[in-house]
Amino acid sequence: MAFSLDTNCGLLNHNIIGPIYCTSTIFPPDILITQFWFNYRHVANTLSVYRSVKRLGIPDSHIVLMLADDMACNYRNPKPATVFSHKNMEFNVYGDDVEVDYRGYEVTVENFLTPRSKRLLSDDRSNILIYLTGQTGNSHGGNGFLKFQDSEEISNMELADAFEQMWQKRRYNELLFIIDTCQGASMYERFYSPNLMALASSQVGEDSLSHQPDLAIGVHLMDKYTFYLLEFLEEVHPASQANMNDLVSVCAHRVSVSPGHHTDLFQRNPGSVLITDFFGSVRKVEITKDTINLTSSVKSGSGDMQIESLTYVDQLPVAEIIHQKPKQKDWHPPDGFILGLWTLILLVFFQTYGIKHLKHIF
Amino acid sequence: MAAPLTLLLIVAVTIRAVLFRSSLAELISERVEVVSPLNAWKRVVEGLALLDLGVSPYSGDVFHETPLMIYLFHFTVDYAEIVFMVSPYFVDCLSCLLASLDRAKIFRKQKYALESDRYPADCLELLRSPKEMFYIPLKVAMFYLLNPFTILSCVAKSTCGLNNAIIALFIFCTLKGSALLSGILLALATYQSIYPLTLFAPALLFFLQRLYIPVNLRRSSFWCFTLQYAFIYVGSLVVITGLSFFLLGSWDFIPSVYGFIFSVPDLTPNIGLFWYFFAEMFEHFRLFFICVFQINVFFYTIPLSIKLKEHPVFLIFMQIAIISIFKSYPTVGDVALYMAFLPAWSHLYRFLRNIFLVSCVLLACSALFPVLWHLWIYAGSANSNFYYAITLLFNFGQTFLIIRPLTRRRKHPGGFDNEVSCFKSSVWKSSLKS
Repeated sequence: MAFSLDTNCGLLNHNIIGPIYCTSTIFPPDILITQFWFNYRHVANTLSVYRSVKRLGIPDSHIVLMLADDMACNYRNPKPATVFSHKNMEFNVYGDDVEVDYRGYEVTVENFLTPRSKRLLSDDRSNILIYLTGQTGNSHGGNGFLKFQDSEEISNMELADAFEQMWQKRRYNELLFIIDTCQGASMYERFYSPNLMALASSQVGEDSLSHQPDLAIGVHLMDKYTFYLLEFLEEVHPASQANMNDLVSVCAHRVSVSPGHHTDLFQRNPGSVLITDFFGSVRKVEITKDTINLTSSVKSGSGDMQIESLTYVDQLPVAEIIHQKPKQKDWHPPDGFILGLWTLILLVFFQTYGIKHLKHIF
Repeated sequence: MAAPLTLLLIVAVTIRAVLFRSSLAELISERVEVVSPLNAWKRVVEGLALLDLGVSPYSGDVFHETPLMIYLFHFTVDYAEIVFMVSPYFVDCLSCLLASLDRAKIFRKQKYALESDRYPADCLELLRSPKEMFYIPLKVAMFYLLNPFTILSCVAKSTCGLNNAIIALFIFCTLKGSALLSGILLALATYQSIYPLTLFAPALLFFLQRLYIPVNLRRSSFWCFTLQYAFIYVGSLVVITGLSFFLLGSWDFIPSVYGFIFSVPDLTPNIGLFWYFFAEMFEHFRLFFICVFQINVFFYTIPLSIKLKEHPVFLIFMQIAIISIFKSYPTVGDVALYMAFLPAWSHLYRFLRNIFLVSCVLLACSALFPVLWHLWIYAGSANSNFYYAITLLFNFGQTFLIIRPLTRRRKHPGGFDNEVSCFKSSVWKSSLKS
């Protein structure tokens, strides 16, 4: 038997889960901890999505997890070293195999946009999923920016520019951006790079709601949008054919706020994009009994789904390297200046020392 | 006189040549005490390179020299070392001449006063004998050429040496009595860095004294001469500025040079007082304190001129010292300039009670500057407070150094008019006799 690996996923060679971020507000040292224990649900959100994604096959090496606060070891956690996402403490999402890449004070805008230690080594065939949860501005509105650590913020324009940079450097093939905050739709309003799909838990002007309070722990455990998202993801397995349209409609009817989605920049029809393209790492393996002759060049299948109507900028200044410009001429002071200066000097000289020296010169 | 002077010149040239060729030259040209953003050689080279690339050298915060300097260095950038070796000699030859001129005048007056028997006996020790005065020009030359500060400044190729040369030329022309040249050179010195503006008052006083015009605000002869001198000065300043405009075709140099000097945007540590203060300053107080600090430089002109109106040469010395202590980016080259003139007032030394203290302070601070810099920047075990403390102490020592001769001069105005103490003692003696 021979195995042939179906590389016909073409551009979907491997999926990388992009940064899963949980940005909780964190306090400066002179404010009591108690205020921010309320953001337990953000950590639970992120960890639940992390678990789902790992379950669907993405390895830790392809996940960057940023948690801004340490809920598991927080003084107010009645069950230390655990974070629960369902009430009645069914499932501890903070288990032994959680690998947090940036924690606490390391979660900053700078580390998000240009991470120093753990980076996504994506290339132009990677699909990236970015999941952000946290707070935009204060809970009464914050249009267009997301708070980091209570002292910094990232604006929608910055995000859009960061994605454009990634596109220019060919760091992704397709990117799915999910955000679960109040007015989440404002964060993807400004995206302009191709192949981006964005989902948000609420529109501009609406607040995102949290779902389940737990009486034992005393805080809300999860946000509504993420809850339904995860419920949906529980039904997805590596071979499932669920597509993006299902994901987009996951939260539409059951809650009072309307989630938004932005698929204009996406080249393919969302209905033809599999969930596992982003959430799981899928290798299609076809078992065949025939022998395959590898000498002829393998055609790339049923044509590229994506029309390469987009061009990349030159990475090197080719024009200047190949066609050398002539060397600049040295600067010379203008003639008028030289004339004026020396005339003045001569005038002063003769004024001081008398006109009698003239006859020695001429 | 010629032989020792020549020997001195040879020694100075040798020292500088040796240091130019050694590896210390690079080290010295990066020291912040020796170069400042205004006169660093690296910046001159950078500015000329920008000019060759077709960009204005004043774009970006690199180059802060005046256009005439651009013109000068454009042709001599390869021979920079020679230029910088020559410029101290300007200063030293001129200081020699200055001292000798001063000396001649002093002798004349002293002789006259002796003959008219105005001096009582015990004031004789204050009189300067020709013998000791003979060596003063040589001492001045030595103090300038062999001063470690001057040598460091020269080896670092800081344009401070050229500024000093222009100021020395100005003093020379003033003492020679040529108002035109003096005005033009003062304009050139002011054009280079604004602070020599304060030297206008002593130069004016000198000319008035020389022409026997009494300094009386109601007399028309005073105003007549003042206006003439001011006209020469301001006129030449305008002409020089206009010429600079024609060199590069733009007025960029004004904010880059004069705006830079006044608004002190660059807070690299140096031996001055500005950097630490403005590094700690809140933004909305900055303008106020800039004004305070800059007025501090110009402020002492008027009281000092009133006090020292009969001693304009000493006033010039005081003004130069005040400029080099309180200017926005001082370097050791500025300090060396006024230190060179100290021997001219050596007759006041015996009355300086703290000369040992002051010289120890200055020596210790000069030694501690590189040490604390290393500790702060490289070892990380000190911080900017340490360095600023030494800066403060250095400036304090300098202030002491110049204030003492001033107070002593006031009490024993050596040379030809010892009115105060000698008059008192002669009155006392005559009362004893009678």
